Amino acid sequence: MSSSGAGCDCEGLYRQLLDAMINANRARAAEVVESALAGGIPPAEVITHILDPAIVELGTRWEGESISLAQNFIASKIAEDALLRCLPDREDPDCRKGVAVIGNIEDDFHSLGRRTVGLFLGAAGWQVVDLGNDVPAEQFLEKALEVGARVIGVSAMMQTTAINIKKLRELIDREGERDHIKLAVGGAVFNWRPELVTEVGGDGTTRNAIGADQLFTALQEQALARELSS
Amino acid sequence: MTRETVWLACGVLREELTRLRHDGGIDGKLTFLDSLLHMNPPLLESTLSEELRRRREEGDRIVLVYGDCCAGMLDLARESGAGRVDAINCAQLLLGRKRYRELMREEAFLVLPEWAERWEEVMTDALGPDPATARELLGEHRSVLVYLDTGIVPVPEVQMEAFSAYSGLPWRVERVRLETALAGLLEAEAREGDET
Repeated sequence: MSSSGAGCDCEGLYRQLLDAMINANRARAAEVVESALAGGIPPAEVITHILDPAIVELGTRWEGESISLAQNFIASKIAEDALLRCLPDREDPDCRKGVAVIGNIEDDFHSLGRRTVGLFLGAAGWQVVDLGNDVPAEQFLEKALEVGARVIGVSAMMQTTAINIKKLRELIDREGERDHIKLAVGGAVFNWRPELVTEVGGDGTTRNAIGADQLFTALQEQALARELSS
Repeated sequence: MTRETVWLACGVLREELTRLRHDGGIDGKLTFLDSLLHMNPPLLESTLSEELRRRREEGDRIVLVYGDCCAGMLDLARESGAGRVDAINCAQLLLGRKRYRELMREEAFLVLPEWAERWEEVMTDALGPDPATARELLGEHRSVLVYLDTGIVPVPEVQMEAFSAYSGLPWRVERVRLETALAGLLEAEAREGDET
């Protein structure tokens, strides 16, 4: 993995951040991000050229089984910290892309991935309505209709809970909202088993939080296009 | 001839399953794998896959006493025809879905008896030896340690006090009757052979 950014030693900082994440050194990770920001690197560049590559590399190592479950958890937590340090300057309330309703599906309590997705979406200009863990299908749809969301993002970490997303797919279809509300699915199990996206009725997925903005934007465009053509 | 049931289970439930078999709640042979495999899901999956293949060749009737502890757990059960407990993890098997949900909403960190004895091994590997880091990380999303007392071994107060000090979280005991787990186990046994 390489990292480049105009005017900053992003490669070096990326490696330092990755090293801190893998070694569960939360304080060191914070120092790296703070030093980048203090050195004048804009928060957006810190995210794009330092944090994003570190998260992608972390995912690669996790899938390659070269880091443990525990290391991955801690590293993800540190990534969330780092992202939060970069976020205030990225928020632009006048540039809302749309409303996204997100949550972990019924019986799923693994919140870290969902929260990270929420942070990335918020940073990208989405109004995020986060319903939390263990959310029943009815609550997802009810909230999406209430706030006018075109995309619902549902997270599940494991296979047994991912299967519960089918209930939401069926509910959306039954209520005649298939063309108006799109279903983004994500979570570790979808990376291990991509065929699950279709099995649970997802309209799309992303391998990590970095791709959430692109996915939600594409799905929202699909929903709006269907609406305009009908 | 009736085939013997083999209960292929996580070692975290060794005492509970042994008690249930002793008391006549379940019949058959108990086989346990190391509970620390939970920390390495790919290794757990390959180990279980091999164990299931071997047991199937021997013609055993298999019940998988595992939650959703690796990515392919449902497939392992389906492909082998093993029954599997309908629980996302061992704590939910012991508590039942309703009580588990209540405790999760309380942001409880659940501690099983076998795990309580090994907490330091697990947590220092996971979070590092520095209690400050552990406190930060656990304290952000957990409010209390809840020891699930299945009534078989004495409550490990020394270990729980130490875990509480390490994590910075208070702890309490929740008494758990084995009837809930027994019902789940028997339902899984009844499903054996249904999932191919």
